[in-house]
Amino acid sequence: MLPFLLRRVGVMILTALTLSFVVFCLTNLAPNLEKLARTEGSVRMSDEAVDSWIINNGHGGLMITRYGQWLGVVPGWTRTDDKGVTRGRCITEGVTAEEAPRFCGILQGDWGTSTVFREPVAKTISDKLASTGWLMLWVMLVMVPVSLIIGVMSGMREGSRTDRVLSTFAIATTATPEYVSGVILVVIFASATTGISPLLAEWGWIDGRTLFLGTATSAIDQITFWNFALPVMTIALYGIGYIARMTRASMTEVMTQQYIRTARLKGVAFHQVILKHALRNALIAPFTVIMLQFPWLLNGVVIVETLFNYKGFGWTLVQAAGNNDIQLLLACSVVAVFVVLVTQLISDIGYVFLNPRIRLS
Amino acid sequence: MTMKTQMLHPAATLLARDVRAGALSRREFLTRTTALGVTATAAYALLGLEAPVQAQAAATGGTLRVGMEVKAQKDPRTADWPHIANVYRGWLEYLVQYNPDGTFEGRLLESWEANEDATQYTLRVRPGVTWNNGDVFTADDVVRMFTRWTDASVEGNAMASRFLGLVDEATGALRDGAVVKVDDMTVQLVMSMSDVAVIANLSDYPAAVVHSSYVDGSDPSANPIGTGPYLPTEVSVGQRAILTRNEGHSWWGGTVPLDEIQYIDFGTDPAAMVALAGSDEIDCNYESTGEFIDVLDGLGWNKLEAVTASTIVARMNSANGDLYKDKAVRQAIQKAVDPAIILELGYNGLGTTAENHHACPVHPEYAEIPAQTIDPAGLRPVLEAAGMADTEFELISLDDGWEAASTDAIAAQLRDAGANIKRTVMPGSTFWNDWQKYPFSSTTWNHRPLAVQNMALAYTSTGSWNETGMANPEFDAAMAQALSLADADARREVMVTLQTILQDEGYIIQPFWRSLYRHARDGVNIDMHPSFEHHHYKWSMDA
Repeated sequence: MLPFLLRRVGVMILTALTLSFVVFCLTNLAPNLEKLARTEGSVRMSDEAVDSWIINNGHGGLMITRYGQWLGVVPGWTRTDDKGVTRGRCITEGVTAEEAPRFCGILQGDWGTSTVFREPVAKTISDKLASTGWLMLWVMLVMVPVSLIIGVMSGMREGSRTDRVLSTFAIATTATPEYVSGVILVVIFASATTGISPLLAEWGWIDGRTLFLGTATSAIDQITFWNFALPVMTIALYGIGYIARMTRASMTEVMTQQYIRTARLKGVAFHQVILKHALRNALIAPFTVIMLQFPWLLNGVVIVETLFNYKGFGWTLVQAAGNNDIQLLLACSVVAVFVVLVTQLISDIGYVFLNPRIRLS
Repeated sequence: MTMKTQMLHPAATLLARDVRAGALSRREFLTRTTALGVTATAAYALLGLEAPVQAQAAATGGTLRVGMEVKAQKDPRTADWPHIANVYRGWLEYLVQYNPDGTFEGRLLESWEANEDATQYTLRVRPGVTWNNGDVFTADDVVRMFTRWTDASVEGNAMASRFLGLVDEATGALRDGAVVKVDDMTVQLVMSMSDVAVIANLSDYPAAVVHSSYVDGSDPSANPIGTGPYLPTEVSVGQRAILTRNEGHSWWGGTVPLDEIQYIDFGTDPAAMVALAGSDEIDCNYESTGEFIDVLDGLGWNKLEAVTASTIVARMNSANGDLYKDKAVRQAIQKAVDPAIILELGYNGLGTTAENHHACPVHPEYAEIPAQTIDPAGLRPVLEAAGMADTEFELISLDDGWEAASTDAIAAQLRDAGANIKRTVMPGSTFWNDWQKYPFSSTTWNHRPLAVQNMALAYTSTGSWNETGMANPEFDAAMAQALSLADADARREVMVTLQTILQDEGYIIQPFWRSLYRHARDGVNIDMHPSFEHHHYKWSMDA
């Protein structure tokens, strides 16, 4: 178990290093630095001003040393301008040039400052991850039970009418990408001029002009059914179909096994057969799929958070990429690697408990 | 508000006579006389009118939610978006304010006077203004601000190029003796050249007045010492900014009606604003554009309009590439585009057509010149003569909204006239990287009070925002002359030359002037400003 864990952690560090280096190289391409200079300085700066801004803000010099600075293995840059003011990577507000430490990279626990949000990256990332965490939690709470129930119901009697109806639903939802289902949901439930809201308002069933809110911006402060239902449903719908299909496949296979037939012939009630004999074996495959949903959710939130203006991790990633916020993008990539590999680790360990025949080696 | 009696500028009475004779519109009269130091009240009085007073005392209280992008705060002089300024306007004020009706109103200045050739200005500081830390606002603060504004060594200092008459060219900083403190309440500007735009420049959004303790280049909301009535309680980029009435500060203007103003960032999609208005998540928006104006009207929101000289310019650049070096080609392209059609297709007809010379009838010095003949049939022969019959012309624009629609309409007309046009669209984040360098692209220009302001920036050979590559010595000379004429009538003579040259050079297709709109729900009393300025103290909500 321990060598296995160590190997996984090693892979994780290596992946994070590689990915962050790739992101670093891409964000430090000359046109991207120019874009950064223009958003940070002024949109209408002259080319000379852009060049001097890039040098004065520590984006000059060799790329590999700048990457080293971010890691914290190369001393942070400092620069004294014509007016005698010294600026530098490690010189933050309230710290003088003399007091500042030489190294300040992630090894020292310093993730840098976000240029878009004007605050420490560590704070941005933790705040936004928390917001996205809430979204994911609600998605999981809706998605997992619903999809398992649909999958088991349609898988226990393959080819029945229930199976056909549920399968159609599952295929339809999983074939609809989020940017389509999100828009459809907004049009139906959250528009003052189309869908069911104007009707409901006319009948006096709702107080406001729309049934649900079309944006989840207010959910950052307080999550309510009205502002969170649509984003949660948008993400969950896609996953429900997918997991339900997996569960159904797994369930139908289990239902053809000899031991199930034996149990039925012995006269065990049908619900007993399902709950006691079929379910545990049928859930192994869906379990992996559910664990795989975490990294995929991290993807999915990019679209949904942007669509619904929910300021979480996905939205932050879009802002960081759109503004070439180097430090923030690097941190995002490290977090993404971490989330993907940790959930895979949990899934591998969970496997062992579900299926004693599988061993970690 | 009491005004000290002061001498009227000699031009003011003359202008008033013009208005009565019908030679001058009231709006132009107000812009011109107030720029010369005549107070708005006096200007209205010269016309025999009473100055408009804010309806009745507005109800105090309320929280207003405004849908607007919240951008990162910047050192005000480097601010490059009105959105940035609209947040710091809560606690930072201006020496002079440009009102939506075209007048200039003294805020931290009580009044000002210009001499006859606009080389000297006397600025009088408003008495009784204090900073929210208790310091008194004096002439020293005004002198200090001019030093900040004229510092050309600051990257992206938007004010640096605006007071050239005060700058020592050798050092790129304030010239000794250019700004003189006469006494605690009076400042004298002594310029090396005439400048008619000083007052207008003082009112522009990067000209906010900061406290002496402000650290250059820092976030102004971090230590919000200012003279204004609000304080920033939260500024989260991309999320929201909250201004709360500063109860501990006795603001010189009295008590502001609104308790709190919340700027909430919902991104830039205009469709999102409609959804937000429908679900009652905002009380007003920042701007309504295109077809969304009708949609918001349909929701029962009130439409607020500002008539402006904001525009879109599809300009050719002769400095990059050879396609547009030939004047005949440029002229033929310009004349192949019918402004009326662009206005209809690109901006739903929500404005007035323009004449390809970037001077608008709302500008005081606008001169009428003979109308151009639109001639799509003339394009093909010129292109053939120049050997460009099959040349591909690439027309670049931003990727959405009315900018793209207008540029599409221009491209379509050129295509109909027989040119081989390729349309390219770019997102804002990449478009602005090279906005001055594209061979043929469209740029939006905001409203400025005087026509010479945009023209001097964009079309003189030394203009810092010159995106056409135009370098016409005659134009440059005429512009230098225009900028020395304080009297707009005299300036109009020169404007004939400037407008004719600019139109004749054929660099720009400038099809229409936009009216600007925003919407607010019932019970919200706000206004729309031609430069998107938010004058918070004028806003209120019905109780």
